[in-house]
This record gives sequence, C-alpha cells and structure tokens, in this order.
Amino acid sequence: MRSISHYLWTGLAVLFGVLVLAGYVIDLPALHAIRGMLMQWAVVLAAAALLLGLVNMLSVHWNKVGAQEKGWPYSAILLLALLTTFILGLVFGPDSGLLLALFNDIQQPVEASLVALLAVTLTVAGFRVVARRRNLSGLVFAVSALIVLLGTGPWLIGGNSGTFLTFGELRAWWSQVWAAGGARGLLLGVALGATMTGLRILLASDRPYGD
Amino acid sequence: MTLLDLVGIGLVLALGAALVGLTLSEVRWPTTLRRIAAFDALDAAIERAVEAGDRVHFSLGTGSLIGSDCAPALAGATALAKIAEATTMSDRPVVASAGDGALAVVAQDALRGAYARTGAKEHYRATTGRMLGPTPFSYVAALPVILSSEKVSVHVLAGSFGMEGALAAEMGERQRALVLAGTDDVQTQALFSATAEHSLVGEEVFSTGAYLQGSSMQRASLRLQDILRLVLTAVILLGTLLRTLGILA
Repeated sequence: MRSISHYLWTGLAVLFGVLVLAGYVIDLPALHAIRGMLMQWAVVLAAAALLLGLVNMLSVHWNKVGAQEKGWPYSAILLLALLTTFILGLVFGPDSGLLLALFNDIQQPVEASLVALLAVTLTVAGFRVVARRRNLSGLVFAVSALIVLLGTGPWLIGGNSGTFLTFGELRAWWSQVWAAGGARGLLLGVALGATMTGLRILLASDRPYGD
Repeated sequence: MTLLDLVGIGLVLALGAALVGLTLSEVRWPTTLRRIAAFDALDAAIERAVEAGDRVHFSLGTGSLIGSDCAPALAGATALAKIAEATTMSDRPVVASAGDGALAVVAQDALRGAYARTGAKEHYRATTGRMLGPTPFSYVAALPVILSSEKVSVHVLAGSFGMEGALAAEMGERQRALVLAGTDDVQTQALFSATAEHSLVGEEVFSTGAYLQGSSMQRASLRLQDILRLVLTAVILLGTLLRTLGILA
C-alpha cells in the first residue's frame, strides 16, 4: 500500500514536468513565465544540492579518518583542503586573487595532467582491445586507428610525400563518410532513447526521484 | 497558437498515447528483448558479487541534473534502483556516485526507495550515494579510492560523461572489476568501446532499466523507439531519393 505522500510527490513531479514541456511547445507568455520560474527554482535547488553533496563528501571522509580506514591520510588532506578553501572563500570572496590563484595554480594543473594521462590510457586500452577482441570489430578498430594516426601525422620522414597525402585523403574519407555516417545513426538512436526516457518520467513509469 | 505549436503538442500527445497503448498490449503481446552480451555479463557479475561479498559501484556520471545532459543519468537512476533491489541479500550494498550534488541526492533517493520496496531499509546509508567531486576530473581523481576501499567487483557507468569517462572506465579495469559503460555522447561511446570491457552503444544506455527486469512501460518504450527509428529511416531514405531525382529542392 503506497502512502499519500508517494502520490503527492509523483503528481507534483509530473505536473511540473508537463508545465515545463508545455512552455517549450506552446507559445503562450503565461506558460513561458511559469517555465522560467520553475527553471529558476531548479537552479536554486541544484545549488543547495551542491552544498548537500559537499556535506555528504565531508561526512564520508570524516568517517574514514575517524575509523583510520585504508587511505585515510588522503581523506585527511581532502578535508583540510576543503575546509581551508571554504573558509578562505567565505572570508575573501570567491573572486579574490588568493582563491583564483589556488584554482589556477593547483586545481587546473592537476586536471590538465589527468587529460595528459588520457593519451597514455587510450594507447594502452587500444592495445588491450586488439589483444582481447580477436574478431571483426577488433580488426576494424585497429585498422581505423592506424589509418587516422598515419593520416593525421606528422611523420618523422616523408612528411610531404605522396604516400602521406594519400593517407591524409584516406583518413578524411574514412572519418567523414564512414565514421560520420555511423555517428549520425547513433545520434538518432540517442535522441529517441532520451525522448522515451523523458516520456516515461512524465507518465510516472520511471521515478528517479524515488518513492 | 501557430501551426508549429499544434504540431508540437500533437506529437507529444501522440507519442504518449502510443506508449500507453503499447504498454497495455504488453499483457497480450510481450516485447521480446534482443540479447545484449553486456547485460548478460552484468547479471552474472552481480550474482557473483553478492555471493563473494563484493560491492557494485554505480556511477551516474559527471553531468548535472538540470542540464540538457541529464537523460542518461535519469535512466541510470532507474537501473541503479533495480541493481540495489537485486543486491539486497548482499552484506555490502551498492555504492553510487555522481559528479553533481543533485544527482547524488537522486542516487540516495533511488537507493532508499529500492531498499524500502524490498523490506531492507537497514541497508540504506546516506553515504552510499556520494558526490565525489564537483568537476569532471576531480570526480575521476576520487574514483580509485572508492573502487579499492569498497572492494568493488562490478563497476557500472551510466550517465553523462565527457573524455574523463575513459579514465573512469580504465580505473575499473585496473581494479579487475567487470566494467559496463554507457553514455549519450557518441565520442565518449567510442572511448568506452576501447577502455571498458562491456560498452553500451547508441541508445542502449537508456534501455538499461528495461533489461534489468524493467516495467512493462520500459519494454514498450523500446518497441516504440524501434517503430520511430524505422519511420525516421524511411523518411530519410525517401528524402534522399526525392532529392537525388531532383523532385525536392
């Protein structure tokens, strides 16, 4: 037996969903105003949820330090960094030079190094795919990667040779005809899948907001 | 109200009606789902994880709930609830993570609802639905810790991911976990096909719920999706033919 609150929350979620959707498909000023207001509420709630997420993160790592679980020193560093930046942000403001320096000199370089790591990761993963999938898809993957790499260059020697130019044209044909055609087919499927997910939520069949 | 508005309203209503109609017809003509190796492997891996006392980690991605990229995460939340129900017997319940505070709340809600439905409310902890980091790469940087400390043997990625998704999948592979990854971004799907053991292609990420013992409406929506795909393909082919013949400008 479901509680009254279940029907209430489901009804409200469906109503708000329908109002926002109607604001997009019906050109009425009143509906546009309602849609704008609901979207603003969503932005405010998302900001509050970010704070909740931070509290959640704090509690996870606090418990980890308290129980001295494996890797607890990392949690301690995270707590220290989080509280320090939070307090500095409250005192000096989020646009202060100190906080911007912390972001530009610590956060950004660390994230950039992770992007650099991606190149190595993908190379290793590429070799693993060839070793693991000894079938047609593995072969297509390996051949495509080879064509794109050779066609994009630069080559150490023979960078202006006819072979290099041929590989360049082959790469363009491969990526602009075969890959782009396949990607458009996939995008069509993704759009349909997203539409169906939205419809299921509007019809209260899927309730990602819980019971 | 313009003609375009009416077409828009008509389309939404027609799709809604078709979905309800196909759902009702599920009793008499149930949808047969084609086998997808990734979901077969996921079922088996979840069973093994429950028996071995390992944990399932479910990622809702690095997108946001209020962004245009929220659809795969919402589909993922439904799948998360199904997996939480399936692992109720385990000593180590599912742990979910997201790169957005609101999505972490959605994950917590999905877990709470799943445990309430299966009569195992004691399994729910607010810390099993976590926000790992507010930016895509800070989220990925925090992943290895959760994967190793929580003894994860099944690593599911179903949400919005950019290129950081490749690192997220690779971290699961390094943990020797079963990695199943799906997203809506086509370029990231290509990265997943290289880095994840089982990757979901195209719209398969949206069908995760249906494959995990989903509702009749979830299965019916897959059938409607296929019908629409056929219609759109026919329209595209017709348009190409008319243009080639010079009939369409």
